[in-house]
Amino acid sequence: MATATAIPGGIAERDWEMPEQVGLWQDSWRRLRRNKFAVIGLVIVAVVIVDALIAPFWTPYETWRQALGPTYQGITPAHLLGLDESGRDILSRLMSGATVALEVGIGASALASLFGIFMGLIAGFYRGKIDAVISTIINVWYGVPDLLVAMTLVVLLGRGVINLVVAIAVTGWLGMARLVRGQTLSLREREFNEAARASGTRSLTIVFRHILPNALGPIIVQATYLVPAAIIFEAFLSLLGLGVPPPTPSWGDMASEGYKSLQVAPHIILAPSIAISLTVLAFNWLGDGLRDAIDPRMRR
Amino acid sequence: MEDLHTQFFTSSGVVSAVAGISFEVHRGETVGIVGESGCGKSVTALSLLRLVPEPGRVTGGKIYFGDKDVLKLDADELRDYRGSDVAMIFQDPMSSLNPVLKVGFQIEESMRAHRRFTQEQARSRVVPLLRQVRIPDPERRERDYPHQFSGGMRQRAMIAMALANEPELVLADEPTTALDVTVQAQILELLRDLNRDLGTAIVLITHNMAVVARLCTRVIVMYAGQIVEQGPVEQIFESPQHPYTWALLRSIPRVDVKTHERLRSIEGIAPDLVHPPGGCRFHPRCPFRVEQCFSEEPPLQEVAAGQQARCWVQMKRAYEEMGAADLVDVSPGAGSGYQVPQG
Amino acid sequence: MRGTLVYTGQRLVLIAFTALAVSSIVFIGIHLQPGSSLLTDRPSNPVRLQQLLHQFNLDLPWPQQYWIWLTHAIRGDMGVSLSSNRGESLTPVLLREAGVSMTLGFFAILFTIFVGIGLGTLAAIRQNTWVDYVASTAAVITYSIPPFVWAFLLIIVTVTYLYTLTGGAIYEDIGWGKPEQIPVPALALGLPYAAIVARLTRASMLEVIRQDYVRTAWAKGLTGRVVVVRHALRNALIPVVTILGPLVTAIITGSVVIEFLFGIPGLGKEFVNSILSRDYNITVAVFTAYAVIVGFANLAVDLSYPLLDPRIRY
Repeated sequence: MATATAIPGGIAERDWEMPEQVGLWQDSWRRLRRNKFAVIGLVIVAVVIVDALIAPFWTPYETWRQALGPTYQGITPAHLLGLDESGRDILSRLMSGATVALEVGIGASALASLFGIFMGLIAGFYRGKIDAVISTIINVWYGVPDLLVAMTLVVLLGRGVINLVVAIAVTGWLGMARLVRGQTLSLREREFNEAARASGTRSLTIVFRHILPNALGPIIVQATYLVPAAIIFEAFLSLLGLGVPPPTPSWGDMASEGYKSLQVAPHIILAPSIAISLTVLAFNWLGDGLRDAIDPRMRR
Repeated sequence: MEDLHTQFFTSSGVVSAVAGISFEVHRGETVGIVGESGCGKSVTALSLLRLVPEPGRVTGGKIYFGDKDVLKLDADELRDYRGSDVAMIFQDPMSSLNPVLKVGFQIEESMRAHRRFTQEQARSRVVPLLRQVRIPDPERRERDYPHQFSGGMRQRAMIAMALANEPELVLADEPTTALDVTVQAQILELLRDLNRDLGTAIVLITHNMAVVARLCTRVIVMYAGQIVEQGPVEQIFESPQHPYTWALLRSIPRVDVKTHERLRSIEGIAPDLVHPPGGCRFHPRCPFRVEQCFSEEPPLQEVAAGQQARCWVQMKRAYEEMGAADLVDVSPGAGSGYQVPQG
Repeated sequence: MRGTLVYTGQRLVLIAFTALAVSSIVFIGIHLQPGSSLLTDRPSNPVRLQQLLHQFNLDLPWPQQYWIWLTHAIRGDMGVSLSSNRGESLTPVLLREAGVSMTLGFFAILFTIFVGIGLGTLAAIRQNTWVDYVASTAAVITYSIPPFVWAFLLIIVTVTYLYTLTGGAIYEDIGWGKPEQIPVPALALGLPYAAIVARLTRASMLEVIRQDYVRTAWAKGLTGRVVVVRHALRNALIPVVTILGPLVTAIITGSVVIEFLFGIPGLGKEFVNSILSRDYNITVAVFTAYAVIVGFANLAVDLSYPLLDPRIRY
């Protein structure tokens, strides 16, 4: 796990550190596999990912092609999920929507996590004024409704996947930063830091080689939970008309359109709703499973 | 209780925590139950109140309180019985008191749950109870929370809570183990005085023979879920008959020996209660065993007036026939320097 | 007591600071973007345009504009609407809408707390029975379904099916103003969060039930209900109250979408409209209002801590 780096005192630490890490991950993996829900979640997530990867290249029908049949048509053998209000094939749009959902979901989670980890690390490690500033920022903005911020940003920056990712991440990093800061503060005091510092390792190295790996567990869990949150976020925004612009299909957008035709054709809204809910559920199960597996104090 | 069996049904097997215990406690007596960790003494007490936690259950035997068949009480009768006929105090007073409720309230609650006192009576009894257990400044203290008390005071509060309904019997599960030595002595003295003044019977559970010596008139020694010896404290201390009792007494650190002598401990490890040793349960660790000990389980036999031991060999024989008297202390308890309370 | 007052004071300062920060940042951000509803909707006459701009102070440099806004806002005057009813004073409108939003939020929170804690406790008591397994799985599924999907489902059920089933006797008018219009949106908003609360309550109760002091309570001969409610629950609720702050924030956030879907004339709907029609006065005002509301909600939650856990003192 550790890459070879020639630093004074590095080798001794690496030998001592590695067995602990390797054992922990294998153990966690085994526990994860035993959790039925987590496995199901993992499978569903995998399916969604595969779908998202394939969809840009192939879908049963083009997602933008309209008038494939009478509008609002229900389920037929040709169109397994029916047609929407413009006669487009719902199934194809659904598959394509996964791409957007994951782009936004994973993108926002990754961005928020990276930024949050960074801020959390330096706040917790250097403490003092840096920490005061960062903590104040976190405490002030933590209570501000994230949806409003994102909405304002989208209006200002314009619609689009990247803008969406940024808008969501802008408030998303706060939670991760708090978590990492807490972890850093407590890990900072642990004995192996003293050992590392005594042997003269540079601060940056301490941060990356010692603190980060030990905090990695909760970080992974938190990042996993951030993905469904971001997906829901995108759906919220799409419902309000601020999501990914057409003709790119997104689940939130499809739901929004479906809502308008609710009285006429309730089936339109069901497909994206179920897709969103199922994906979120899968990530939640996965996140729960990860959390239970990584927590060394697992009780049954 | 008669022939009590309590078992735990765990995923690794059935643990027979209590395997056939019978004893009586008379009004106003102080009885000690001694044994190492895991011998079943705590479970015995919990069984008396039917508080055995999952996955355990009382699986056999009878328990009588006066003429009440405890094991057959229904839910309401059981609630009456608990806290009013028999009360219990636990080992760690910090975790045994509810941290979010005032101490005075917890004591009052104990009284209000039973129909013995009216509400006003219950309210007014709290302060005198606290005073009785020697908590200073009780008027102020009853409005405090457990985390504001010191360890010794918390234990006293627990005792007050137990005595609130004037029970006939108090079970004390290792009441001093979590406390400092000086505080231990105070608590034991308190218990002794309460027993004398109120006439409440006390069953004291501990792993420490010295504690028993300070407080109890009778002692029951348990090992591996069985009673291995019981009798009056003085007698047991002077001439223990079961090798385990003998070893326990021997292991009390003594003040009078020369300093270079090592502390004596009992060899071997605690028995596996899922598959207890065959024959006499103590035989793997017993220095005086004979052939019979491996195959037949000894019954509890009378070895002297009022004293019973579960052993084929017994110390008497060990001294006479095995020449043990030449090698070891005949009366480890007497020399240990602990005074058995008179009267 | 004194510590509590100090703490409250600190938090109030933080709220004020937050309001300041939020309003100024939003203000700046908006003005970095050219245009406002005045300009998109402009009268063709340039002179008239200039008059309007002047009337609303839009021809001033924006730090100055902000200062004007701020000094007015502190006195309770949130400015005027720039778009639909040009010149209409905002403050009374906002207050009315805030009332609407808070009503919705209140009922949603009520549902969340009571149903969540109730079910969570039940599941904990009946641990490992089928009740528990079913409830736990149902909980995860419930909170994985976002509020708007719940809204869809509930709307479909109440509007479509109940209507056809009962031949028009029971139906849901989507809107606001009648008391029977409250349950459905409140439910849509509250269900997923109730599930989260239930889950946490269950986990917490399971921990607490194992504690020594619960055993002591049994040993005292207390009834099951007293042991569960007075002894176990009070302790178990402590970690639940911890997430109550962020939960309330999430509910308030979610109410924006719900209001939009149900056509409820609350702050959320106002906010959405203002953004879409670029009526930035409203945007800033509502944003700040939300920040303040959330701040107070969190403060309320934090102040309720010592009531529950006497070990916590400010």
